Amino acid sequence: MTFPRRPPSRRRLTKRQRIAAAVLIAVAACFLAIDLTGSGLRGAHGGVRGALGALYRGTDGVLGPARRFVQGVPHAAGNRETIARLRHENAELRARLDQQADDTSTEVALDRLRLAGGSARVVPARVVALGPGSGFDWTVTLNVGSQNGVHIGHTVTDGYGVVGRVLHTSATSCVVLLAADPGSGVGARDTRTGQLALATGRGTDGFSVSSLDPRATLQVGDRLVTGPAGQSTYVSGLALGTITSVQTSADGTSVAQVEATVSPTALDLVGVILSGTGTPAQAAR
Amino acid sequence: MTGPRIATAVAGVVTALLLQATLVAPAAITAQLSLPAVLVAAVALEAGPGTGMCLGFATGLVADLGSSHATGLLALCWLALGIGCGLLADPRRSAPAQMLLAGLTCALAVALATLGLTVVGEPGGTALGAVRALPPSLLGNVVLAVLIVPITRRFLRSDLLNRTVVGHG
Repeated sequence: MTFPRRPPSRRRLTKRQRIAAAVLIAVAACFLAIDLTGSGLRGAHGGVRGALGALYRGTDGVLGPARRFVQGVPHAAGNRETIARLRHENAELRARLDQQADDTSTEVALDRLRLAGGSARVVPARVVALGPGSGFDWTVTLNVGSQNGVHIGHTVTDGYGVVGRVLHTSATSCVVLLAADPGSGVGARDTRTGQLALATGRGTDGFSVSSLDPRATLQVGDRLVTGPAGQSTYVSGLALGTITSVQTSADGTSVAQVEATVSPTALDLVGVILSGTGTPAQAAR
Repeated sequence: MTGPRIATAVAGVVTALLLQATLVAPAAITAQLSLPAVLVAAVALEAGPGTGMCLGFATGLVADLGSSHATGLLALCWLALGIGCGLLADPRRSAPAQMLLAGLTCALAVALATLGLTVVGEPGGTALGAVRALPPSLLGNVVLAVLIVPITRRFLRSDLLNRTVVGHG
């Protein structure tokens, strides 16, 4: 076999190639500097995200079933165990239900109060693409955007717990930063003690939680929900996870590891909560 | 570079980015597989450093602009990937060796990008994380290379991409 169109040697860059490489490196460095020091590339980011978002929506129409199958493969072995565990829990809960008749009237009253406060609208959406993950931001792209009323900062849930919050929006799609993102923090509340805490994402390993009050106790089995803390823009009261282990350091501060309610790798149908925390798409990145 | 080659490169990059986000990333969110990077490596191993650097830079830039991290990071890493693979190009190398080489260089490029995140101060990227992710990344990228390298070899060695339309001026 001969390769007539190939140059005899490619072991070294030619002079023109060296110049081209230097120019491209300089251009990339300029982009990095511009993006890190300001918001000069926001328009370009928005344009490409919008275009890719539209393409993701179209592609998901064709590849969606394949994607859902692929996403389900890692969980296939665990599903049988999960069903058995849930059946067991269901039987226990049914037994407890009889004992909680007294609480029903309180529950009805609470429901009435919640309705009186006005329930936020939830826009259903489907995950059409995932971000690079591992090291980079853990993001997913949804097939709803600003024309559906979705704004930056809106909380996303899968119906069981918190998924993340909207990071960018275009007309027909939006990018959601997952709560499990290793760089993101979520305000949390321990349902047993009512204490506030800060949960930091750990990817597929759930969350790492430290209580805001150093004297507060965190216990294995405690359930956490989203709560107000710092700059958290999440809607309060969404399930975050359950504490699986607690480490207490010499100075008495405790850090707990939390198993997330929502698996970041098995997301498909989610809902964007259109609460008042969102800001228009033109807001800062 | 001929028109058909440019059109094929654009189509290849867009297809790789779409498949990455909709199929590859959901399958392996923790394994750092990168179909666009494998495409850049496969093309550079076949076509040399000139094509490799241009394709790597352009693909990385589009991926950067479509993501949340600082623009230019993947462009730099994949530019280096294109040049590196281009310098290693050897038309006599067997396809399996080329697949292994593409997978290995991609895993290194992905690790380099993760380290780059720490350098530019983006949260999430750590040196330890980059090292830990290397074995699964290597395995996954070799699997992707097994699919991509034969296609790029066949395309770039055929006459399909070198045909020009005659009789128009």
